[in-house]
Amino acid sequence: MSAGPHYAFPPARAYRLNRCLWAIKSDPAYCARFLADPVAAMGELELSAEERAALSPLDRDALVGRGAHPYLVFMADLRLRIAREPGSVEYF
Amino acid sequence: MLVGAFACAHTPQLLIRPPTEDRDLVLRVHAAFARVKRRIEALRPDAIAIVAGDHVEAFFLDAVPALAVYAGAECAGVFGPYRYRFPIHEPLARSIVEQGIERGFDLLYTQGAALDYAFYVPLHFTMPAPPVPIVPLHVNVYLPPQPLPRRCYEWGAALGGILRARPERIVLMASGGLSHFPGTDRYASPDFDGDRGLLERMREGRGRELAVLTGAELDTAGNVELRTWITLLGAVGDACADVYCYEPSWHHGNAVAEWPL
Repeated sequence: MSAGPHYAFPPARAYRLNRCLWAIKSDPAYCARFLADPVAAMGELELSAEERAALSPLDRDALVGRGAHPYLVFMADLRLRIAREPGSVEYF
Repeated sequence: MLVGAFACAHTPQLLIRPPTEDRDLVLRVHAAFARVKRRIEALRPDAIAIVAGDHVEAFFLDAVPALAVYAGAECAGVFGPYRYRFPIHEPLARSIVEQGIERGFDLLYTQGAALDYAFYVPLHFTMPAPPVPIVPLHVNVYLPPQPLPRRCYEWGAALGGILRARPERIVLMASGGLSHFPGTDRYASPDFDGDRGLLERMREGRGRELAVLTGAELDTAGNVELRTWITLLGAVGDACADVYCYEPSWHHGNAVAEWPL
């Protein structure tokens, strides 16, 4: 990851994977489904077994290695953490 | 007419205040935002045109515009428990699209895309009372190939011309930066020295020098979002920045600045 740019052209093969990360980040209904039943939620998006394994539990390096956009990984992770731990915001 | 120009960091931690952040640092950035809000109130704008980098929120990989204008009636965005909705200054938005196209910029426009937090985090803190309508202006910063910094500067110069010719009193705001690397293995090591050099050039009115930076240089410095500041620099020309604050956190170079016009 350090050899190329920090943000590279998203490879077409990772479209569904990036779509899933985007949905976790930007679609509250999908995010809720993912939290409740990740296997079923991932089943909506025709992901490979390797992609599903990297998404749950979320493995940043594995996801980025498969073409996921680093920012989408970062923000999907943050949204999941906020949803799982509502007390993790407005700490001060 | 263009009555004010500001640039603001927008890192969501400033809004959501998680325990990972340095409380005092965040409050110092909030104080700089409060100063921007007071200044904007004194400028009595009719609208705020805000240039921000979409975080793959309004535009996913289905369509990736380099430059876009939100020209609907209102816009809305959601970030976890936070909900925002803003009226759009429709005549201004439409004139930016029409005159931008006439000036040779092939702008995308939308009347319904979601609003990214890059827009509403600064507006959360700086929207004057009473509030004014906005015009969101998108620059693609996270999905390569992004527009060249030079192109952003040129778009900003054209945008400045459009805003100056309008009858409304308009504040232009850039949202973004400075150095940060979200989602990468450099997240905890931004380029703060690089940021200080950029701010010094902006203080000295040498903003046009930033237009010659390359996309690769911005990526290396964690400053892909500087494109929004460079757009504003195109609009303000050689005005000197008054840097309200530069607060480097463990992951982000938080900067707030005004270009007195």
